[in-house]
Amino acid sequence: MNDERGADARLADRIRAGQADALGELYDRHASTALATALRVVGSREEAEDVVHEAFVAVWRKIDRFDAARGSLRAWLMTVVRNRAIDRVRARRPRIDLDDADERSLLRTGPNPTWEAALAQTSAAEIRAAMGSLPDEQRRAVELAYFEGYTYREVADVTGVPPGTANGRLRLALAKLREALEGSTGAPLTAPEVAMHEERSR
Amino acid sequence: MTCERIDDLAAAYGLGAVDPDEERGISEHLVSCDRPHVEARDIIGVSTAVPAALEPVAPSAELRARLMATIAATPQEHAAPALPQPVPEPARPWWRLAPLPTALAAVALAAAVGLGAWSLDLNRQLAERDEAIRMVAAADAAYAVSGSAGSGWVLEADGQAIFLADELAELPPDRIYELWLIGPGGDPVAVGVIADTDGVAVAPLERAIGNATTFAVTVERGRVDAPTGDPVLVAPLEG
Repeated sequence: MNDERGADARLADRIRAGQADALGELYDRHASTALATALRVVGSREEAEDVVHEAFVAVWRKIDRFDAARGSLRAWLMTVVRNRAIDRVRARRPRIDLDDADERSLLRTGPNPTWEAALAQTSAAEIRAAMGSLPDEQRRAVELAYFEGYTYREVADVTGVPPGTANGRLRLALAKLREALEGSTGAPLTAPEVAMHEERSR
Repeated sequence: MTCERIDDLAAAYGLGAVDPDEERGISEHLVSCDRPHVEARDIIGVSTAVPAALEPVAPSAELRARLMATIAATPQEHAAPALPQPVPEPARPWWRLAPLPTALAAVALAAAVGLGAWSLDLNRQLAERDEAIRMVAAADAAYAVSGSAGSGWVLEADGQAIFLADELAELPPDRIYELWLIGPGGDPVAVGVIADTDGVAVAPLERAIGNATTFAVTVERGRVDAPTGDPVLVAPLEG
């Protein structure tokens, strides 16, 4: 387990033990990114702070079901923030069943630890530059998906292309983002747990 | 879902842009498949860079304070307090237990009011306390209430009744205490709820005791018309 994932697991253990100061630590580490995401989705500072508040309370309440082997605490937290933010602006479609969404968020496979560590050392400006290098239609597809809560099929409807094309744009966008970030971080992508998986499968 | 489909949808999955059923299917596949899905996992990892591209926004100082206050009052799922257990069968039937004399109840309650842990909610609680003291002073009858959730009193004065209890057992946030009067026919009638168990709980009953023979308290998920479980507090009202 690398340092980042190990620190996550230790922090999760302390939160699980009911240590409020550990949740405070998690907040101090990630609240500003969480708030930026919520604000980007809901557009109102007051509402965004409510979303962040709700998300951290959900993490506090449900921490026992968090499995550090599946993904990072940061990735789970950001999923919880995003789900709640999108639910607020989702008047045009059925509301999200947040309990169900939380369940699914706990089952998700998160980023590999190598990426987590690389991202932690990459500035927002570098990541923004990488996003800025994407072709317009790919960046738009990513923004519709992540910040507006559209599925790739809905992205297809909104942008007037077949679902396969919308999905392909998301795939190409992330592949390009990966190249750009590899260039700036030099991070090898094969994660330790993938190597272990391969070893186990032999 | 096939391995090829998993790889195909990895970016959409990473960005939260698949349907709930697809999301579940992909999550399950990735933990159970013999193939490592290296490419899909890498793409999922890259997706987490998207929110990190935003310029961080510093939250207000008030938000942290509000969060920590909420946390202090929020039980974790795995550590939620156990529900009070239903009242065990007493050695003597409870409906034959004599109520304590009014004077004794009043003394005990006065002690509770003097020493009890009043929580800090101010005007409402002060008004409730005043009402409780008025009821103690004017009580025509007092009935001891007891059970696994704690203990308290039902006081009756001028045809009105009030339930008081000090430090009722804490409940999970989605539960409340509901109060009942039960007449000779055995049908319970809802007469109030208590959601806040901090300090001394004061709940005027919504109807007079009349010919009711039993007062009871159950734990419910919200106000209901008929109890869904056994009582956690009871008091015979006949003396």
